[in-house]
Formats: sequence, structure tokens, C-alpha cells
Amino acid sequence: MANSSTPAVQIEGLTKVFRLPFKQEKVVAVDGLSLQVDAGEVYGLIGPNGSGKSTTMKVLLGLISPSAGKASIFGLDSGDTASRGSVGFLPENPYFYKYLTGSETLAFYGKLCGLSRKQIRERSDELLEMVDLTGARDRRLGGYSKGMLQRIGLAQALVGDPRLVVLDEPTAGVDPAGSRKIRDLVLELKRRGITVILSSHLLEQVQEVCDEVGIIFNGRLVREGKLNDLIAIEDQSEIVLQNATPQLLERIAEMVEGEEGAQLLRCGNPRTTLERLFLQEIKEGSKQGGEDA
Amino acid sequence: MDQQAQDIAISGKHRVFSLLRIWAISRNTFTQLVRMKVFYFMLIFSALIIGANLLFLSFTFEQELKILKDVSFGAMSLFASIFAIVGTALLIPKDLEDRTLYTILTKPVPRIEYLIGKLLGILLLIAVSILLMSLLFFAVLYIRQHGILAEKIASIPRQVSEADIESFRESIFSRGLQPELLLGVVAVFLKAAVAAAVALFVSTFASSTLFTIIVSLVIYFIGHAQALALDFYFAKGEMHSAGQRFFAGLIGVVFPNFQLFNVADGLTAGEVISTSLMARLVGLTAFYLTIYSLVSWLVFAKKEL
Repeated sequence: MANSSTPAVQIEGLTKVFRLPFKQEKVVAVDGLSLQVDAGEVYGLIGPNGSGKSTTMKVLLGLISPSAGKASIFGLDSGDTASRGSVGFLPENPYFYKYLTGSETLAFYGKLCGLSRKQIRERSDELLEMVDLTGARDRRLGGYSKGMLQRIGLAQALVGDPRLVVLDEPTAGVDPAGSRKIRDLVLELKRRGITVILSSHLLEQVQEVCDEVGIIFNGRLVREGKLNDLIAIEDQSEIVLQNATPQLLERIAEMVEGEEGAQLLRCGNPRTTLERLFLQEIKEGSKQGGEDA
Repeated sequence: MDQQAQDIAISGKHRVFSLLRIWAISRNTFTQLVRMKVFYFMLIFSALIIGANLLFLSFTFEQELKILKDVSFGAMSLFASIFAIVGTALLIPKDLEDRTLYTILTKPVPRIEYLIGKLLGILLLIAVSILLMSLLFFAVLYIRQHGILAEKIASIPRQVSEADIESFRESIFSRGLQPELLLGVVAVFLKAAVAAAVALFVSTFASSTLFTIIVSLVIYFIGHAQALALDFYFAKGEMHSAGQRFFAGLIGVVFPNFQLFNVADGLTAGEVISTSLMARLVGLTAFYLTIYSLVSWLVFAKKEL
């Protein structure tokens, strides 16, 4: 699929202008934006609030129409309802029908995707298992936590077996453990060859899961490329040593000093991230709790 | 299968219009409203008709049965219209506010299907509530007419002949549970269906539930007074100018004449409801449902979400 010539998403010269009601003013939310996402890729769209990320996603999903330019999904124009046949979408901070249970919610969205009863049953079982909500399948969504709502949201996005999944701030308001779960699910989608477009403020997460990144500012794509190329500092190199003695470090420093033009910038213990430390502590805490019990 | 063939297959697999998707949305709408415990209103309805029954026991049986029918039809019409307006107003603005609409419309669901599904869901709710109310109303009426007959026979000191009993039965039952009452029930449903279509239209451009309720209620009340207002406006002379004709036509289309649907008033007063009137009401309802759904779609299809 990834070798195919048809890109999963193609946006060309997209401009969206909003007119403010009762005023003459216009707001340019997206300004001549072009980007392409190849099938099987995980693309991170990052930018500050109000930069045009959500507007771009809405045009791509046919929720709003472009003022100029066009967007297509697997070759089908975004304005065409059929293009949504291969898409799953999780909006930012979604609320679902809180009177429905988890499995009823998936059944409802499954029917909208044209699945048969048998397909809905099988797909619901698989997805509830995948998002770790099998135990809560018969509970109404009104009683779900924020993290559970995001996960059932992700499950509904996947119910139609989409080839493209669009996630708008999927970890907004979710605690680090829940956020990690969603990150793992995105990695699972990537493993299955599903194309993902992800917008997030949590840059570290984007860095962990995305192959390609686009930075939007003031409605324009100011930087785009393979993540590794974008973040590599080309004139610096990194060596990470295990169990190095102070003598060894001293010898390395001396060697560097003897080399013309080279400079040792920093030497010390690498830092873990606060998120990793937090998750490790929780994991150990729950392990200990289990042993005590 | 290569990518291009897969794309074609996907676009071919998609149904442009699907009754199954509409039914999924209608059923979901109905379930959602039912689980909001709207059927608790049945308690109030029961209290109203039983109360009406107890309060007017000292009246003559004709008056008593008429009051029971008036109160029941009045309450049925009120509840059905409230459901139609408030229930519909709760749907689209809330879906939009909660972004649930995004998750539905980003599935391969055309916007017209979403609108029709929501409207059918609310019509289903109105139909079920009217059915429950009529069952209760008919049961009370049935019990009361038999009660009145028994009281009448008991109140006569002498031996009552079969012929007398038949005459009492005829006289009491003709004012009680008669098949014509069903026409009144149908008219209540038709009126609520039109009110729901109006509220659906308002909710396609409204930004909140409250706004939808207020504007729909205004149209509902104007609709009740429109025939009166038009009669008054054109009373002094015939309609001559094209402007006046256009104005009258416009008012007639924009504001449905809800007063026409109040056939129950005539029914309880003993009037006969003609088949042609009922056919006209059904036709009018179909006309308003079509017009309002089409206009709703025109607004909603272009709505920036």
C-alpha cells in the first residue's frame, strides 16, 4: 500500500477565509497551504493555537469548504461523501451520546459505515479489546473518564476499517498514562500500515510517533519534512556510553582537545524525561502494591 | 488489488443514499431521547386526565365525558408539540456543541441523511408518546362510560328493561369511546410533525438550543393566529393586488396554519370530521414536511461546521 502512487492525502493551495458575522472583517485561517501525506505514513501537524491546524483538518474531512485550493483523500475530492469511506476521525475533546454504552456506540458508528451486524459484532470485540475497554463495554459513556472517552473515540474512528485516521489533539486533557496508551495505539496503527495525521501540542509525543512533520504558523506551512532530517543537528554528534570510568571520559576529552576544530560541548548523565520517570514510578508503585496484596 | 482499483472499489461501494444509515440515525435519536427519561411525562398526563375525571364527577354525564375528552386532547396536543419543538431543538445544536456531529458527518453519511434521520427519530418519539397517551385516554374513557352506565341503571328505583338499558347505553356511549376519536389523535400527530419540521429548520441555522426553542415557539404561535390575522387583514375587501396575494401566500407557506389541525375541538363537541378535511391535513403535513426538510437541507448542506 505504501508503495502506491496515490497519496493518502493531497492538499494543494488550500486557503480558508472566514467572514466575521455582522462585520466587514475577514480572517484568513489557512493561506495557500499545500502538503502531501503518503499512504502508511504518520504525519504530525504541529503549530500554536489558532494556526490553522483544525481548519485544515475540517476541510480535509469535508466539514467546511475551502475558499480556494483543494484537498483529496486517496484521490477522491474531500467534498465528495465517498471520500469519507476510508477515513476515521477523532475530534478534539469529543463527546459522544452519553446515554449509549460503549458497544452501542461502536454499533451505531458501524452502521453508519455500512457494516453488517456480524461485522459490527466482530469489529466491536476487536476494537474494544484493542483500546482496553472490553470491561466497560456495557457501561454508558456518561460514566466514562476522559481517557476512556478518548479511547472509545479512537475505536469509533477505526470501526469502518479506515485507511486514513485523522486525530485532532488526541491526548488533550488525558493523564500521562492514558496519553501513553493512545501513543501506543497510534504506533499500532502505524504497524498495521494505516496512514495517520495527528495534530498535537505535545511535541515529544509527535516526535515519538511521526515519520514526517509539518509546522503550521499563521495558516502557512512554514517547515515540513522527515522528522529525523528536521531535528538532526548536523554539525554535532552524540556518543552514549554505558559504565564509562572517569579515566575513560578524561581520555576521550583529551583526544577531542587534540583534534583541530572539534569541541566537547557537554559530558554527563543523560536525563530521562519527566514523563518516562512518572510512568516508571507508577509502574513500580502498582507492581509493589500487587506484591503487598 | 492495486491502490487505484481499491479507490474505485471504495467509491463504488459507497451508497449515495442509504435507508439503513437513516434508520441507524433515527433509532439512535429515539433511544437517546427515551433514555433522557422523557416518558416520565406520562405521569403528569395520567394525573391530568384522572384529575379531570374526579373533579367533574358532579356534572351531567355529557359534560363529564366532554370535559374528559377536551382535557385529554388538549394535554395530548400540548405534550406532543412540546416534544416536537424541545426534542428537535435538543438534537442538532447539541450535536454541534459536543462535536458529536463531526464524528457522524466524517463517516460516509450525506448531510440530508443526517437531517432525515433526526426528523424520523423525533417523529417516532412523538408517535410512541401519542400512542401511549391515547391508550391511557381511551382506557379511562372506556372505564368511565361503563361506570356512568352502571350508575345510571342503579339510580333508577324500578326494574330497568333491556330496552331502557340499550337506550342508556346508546346515549352514553355515543358521547364516549367512538372510532372518530382516532381522527383527532391522528390530527394531533400531524400537527406535532409539522412543528418538529419547523424546529428542525430553525435548528439548522440556530447556534443554540434555547434560540431554536424560542424561534420555533414564535412560529408555532404565529401559525395558530395566521388564519385569523389573514382574515382580518383581507376582511374589508377582496384581494386585488399581486403584492397582497404574494404576502398572503408567503405567510401561508412560512407559517403553517396550525389552527387547521385542531379538529379535536369539533370532535368533542360532536361534529363530524369529513374525510376530505383529514385528507387535506395529511396533504398539508406532507407539504410542510417536504418544504421544511428541503429548506433545512439547503441551509445545512452549506453550513460551515
